Amino acid sequence: MSGTKLLMTFPVTATSHTLADYRARGGYRALEKALNQMKPEEVTREVTASGVLGHGGAAFPVGRKWAVVKLNDGQPHYLCCNADEGEPGTFKDRWILEHDPHLLLESMLIASYALGVRHSFVYIRGEFDLPYRRLAGAVEEAYEAGYFGERILGTDFACDVVVYRGAGSYVCGEASGLITSIEGKKGYPRNRPPRLTVHGLYQRPTVVNNVETLANVAGIIARGADAYKKVGTPKSPGTQLVSISGHINRPGVYEVEYGYPLAKFLYEDCGGILGARALKALIPGGISTKVLTGAEAESLIYDHASFAKAGSSLGSGGMIVIAEGTCMVRLLQVMLRFYHHESCGQCTPCRDGMGWLHRIIDRIVAGEGVPEDIERMQAISRANDGTTICGMGDAAGYATVAILEKFRDEFDYWIAHKRSRCDGRLEVPGHA
Amino acid sequence: MLELFIDGKPVRAEKNETVLQAAVANGISIPYFCWHPRLSVPGNCRICLVEVEDEKGGNWTDIACNMPVAEGMRVLTDSDAVRAHRKAMLQLILLNHPVDCGICDKAGECALQDYHYEYSGLRSVSRDAKVRATKFHPLSERIVLDNERCILCSRCVRFTHEISKSHALGIQERGDHSLVRAVEDGRFDADPYSDNVIDLCPVGALLSRSFLYKARVWYLQATPSVCPGCERGCTVQIWHRKPEWHLSALDPRQNTAIARVTPLENPNVNGPWICNKGRDLARIFERPRAEQAMLTGVPTELSAATAAARRLVAAAKRPVALVSSWGSNEELAAFKAHLGGRFASFVKQDCRPAPGEPLEDDLLIRPDKNPNTAGARKLFGDAAPAFRNDTDLVLVWGEGFDFARLPRGAKTIVLDAYAHPDNARADVFLPVSIQTERQGHYTNFAGVVSAFEPCFPKRASVADAERLFVSLAAAVEALA
Repeated sequence: MSGTKLLMTFPVTATSHTLADYRARGGYRALEKALNQMKPEEVTREVTASGVLGHGGAAFPVGRKWAVVKLNDGQPHYLCCNADEGEPGTFKDRWILEHDPHLLLESMLIASYALGVRHSFVYIRGEFDLPYRRLAGAVEEAYEAGYFGERILGTDFACDVVVYRGAGSYVCGEASGLITSIEGKKGYPRNRPPRLTVHGLYQRPTVVNNVETLANVAGIIARGADAYKKVGTPKSPGTQLVSISGHINRPGVYEVEYGYPLAKFLYEDCGGILGARALKALIPGGISTKVLTGAEAESLIYDHASFAKAGSSLGSGGMIVIAEGTCMVRLLQVMLRFYHHESCGQCTPCRDGMGWLHRIIDRIVAGEGVPEDIERMQAISRANDGTTICGMGDAAGYATVAILEKFRDEFDYWIAHKRSRCDGRLEVPGHA
Repeated sequence: MLELFIDGKPVRAEKNETVLQAAVANGISIPYFCWHPRLSVPGNCRICLVEVEDEKGGNWTDIACNMPVAEGMRVLTDSDAVRAHRKAMLQLILLNHPVDCGICDKAGECALQDYHYEYSGLRSVSRDAKVRATKFHPLSERIVLDNERCILCSRCVRFTHEISKSHALGIQERGDHSLVRAVEDGRFDADPYSDNVIDLCPVGALLSRSFLYKARVWYLQATPSVCPGCERGCTVQIWHRKPEWHLSALDPRQNTAIARVTPLENPNVNGPWICNKGRDLARIFERPRAEQAMLTGVPTELSAATAAARRLVAAAKRPVALVSSWGSNEELAAFKAHLGGRFASFVKQDCRPAPGEPLEDDLLIRPDKNPNTAGARKLFGDAAPAFRNDTDLVLVWGEGFDFARLPRGAKTIVLDAYAHPDNARADVFLPVSIQTERQGHYTNFAGVVSAFEPCFPKRASVADAERLFVSLAAAVEALA
């Protein structure tokens, strides 16, 4: 077992997502506590004290984001829950939406109370079918039970929630792109400044948090910041839902306590690498995080600091395991096809750079690569570093450069010999 | 006001300005494609990126168009990092651009061309095929779009959303397959300001159908003028062939043709915009001209017709003049000075709105479709034209007179620039020059006076109205 559990604390059954089961698990008590015993500022203070970090990928301290929103500043505030979960390899929010939607709704109510929000939004990935139905069902149940609407739990607090389905754009998972999409515009990210907590949805102060981030709020209020901080490490309190896929024996969603040894997680909890092969590489948190070689990964502790030290990050927790024998050139081709397809086309470096990278890698795979292609790809990645409106260009560049640097020999080999140095398939022999 | 330093030079700026605005106001050159002073800041071309010297956290870079100024801020617009960045951005912008400057109407006044030569000058390092996209996409009846040349700066899109409010343009698709497209209900055709997007386009993607492949801009010169299309009196530039590039073979009429009309930026009147009617001044000025003086329809010499007119003026007892609201302030003043005492003068509305023409809107278009009604009324009052039973001579200056309204038995002197069947009904017809053949001023509805310059020489067979009035006044002086 991968450490203490905060979210995956109950057995999943056919009814575990319903309001009745959620109440039986002690649900909506944190909301009662917040509304009856705490002032909004106290809720924010508790969340700040817990040190909970954003679980969407950037690991920004939640309390610091919330503290920017000034209560009673005479304008409406908005809360958007980012359930767009589009980072390849990530499917952990889906678990919460499918199996514990009321936890999310309760947390959103608490956050709305703390932030002075009357209208909150869930921006859910359009491809999510069951999660959407479960969430929509939960919203209906919650309205019927009086958790949303006017005079919630008999207090003066009022809050509504709107579930908004996305239409399949990766960039709409970026906070400002998500907001422009909710506004009914094309999902183009916005320039900062201004920050979204100053001018966000409809130009009002807006907090955008990931599903898992928000889901932790109810627990923090119910059990207190101190109890939350006891889990995990001092700098990375709490747990992370890790969605692991790729060449691993038991893929799925696991809750991992920060500070848990990565090797133990991979080889004990997840049953080791498929076909008992060696670990060639690990993408730790969605393809936008820098790839780690097997040797780098196996000695790591699962927390933010040690991954940062290794030159990567935990990202969104979407872990992709890559076994020995996998061709990294083809892997990069798949990644760049994705980035090319998903670039919103707003700003120059990403719009033209992603297409260029994709065409170069396609040409290399077709056997028409030239040695300077690798420098060219690195230069295009550099041109995206810190120059784009949102983080997608940077992330794509970092991911590309990491693979090029760490597996340079495979690219050189393909360019020289017009074929893969590995077996050229993502399947491991003996398993296909 | 606060002070910052751009390239070491102290610059004063307002608190809510951006670094790019401060730089532009102080004549410091930072390249930009998507930014425009009258439009919102999308920050998508990324070419205006500058470096900020920060002693605490090390230097950082961001786009100047979205960077708020701060007291004591030290901005570098020409550091190594900035120069390298501009080269990289130009490589990317030109990656899928066809670089067909040789056949592009924008060549010579293209921001991409200028910046490429100024900041990069490098060949493309790409060895991959360019992305192909639509050529000659019919965006409206007036505009075609070359999607391969488009750099997706979104200026045109923002113009229709923020200035003309037609909301007619948008961007379809994503990434490097994005396409600017018009809403399919034809509202871009109906946008009376649509042609401004042609000027806004920093490259040659948006092309005017009427100017398409008509001239290289370096053969043209722009003469400042005033649009006579309505009483707004927008200042415009009339583009025509430079004298040194005059054609003697092919079609010499091109030498005196209006190639195109663009706005002349004027914060007091029209800002940087004009409406489509202003773009089509050739349709007004290049109508068939009246070039022949006539006596009751019989062609005659200009001098003979002038003498006949002088006799009519001398003989009349109760003459009435209908002065043109298309006359310049100078012409109107000459009429007032020399003939004002002789004639009972009224201001005439030369032009009325054409069927289907927009009457009035919030941006520029005004209901009175004459350029100098205000200037004329200042001299001659705003009484409606009225004839008396004993009116025995009517001098009609300009178009739009209905001969049915002529008092019975009255003689007529008509001064007009354009051919019209009614011209032959005048006892004396005198052809006069048009705006593009003379200089002068118009006073717009708000009292702002704007000047226009001659584009072409006056034709020998037509009179200059200002001089004509002096000549006619000789008859008045003879009476006195």
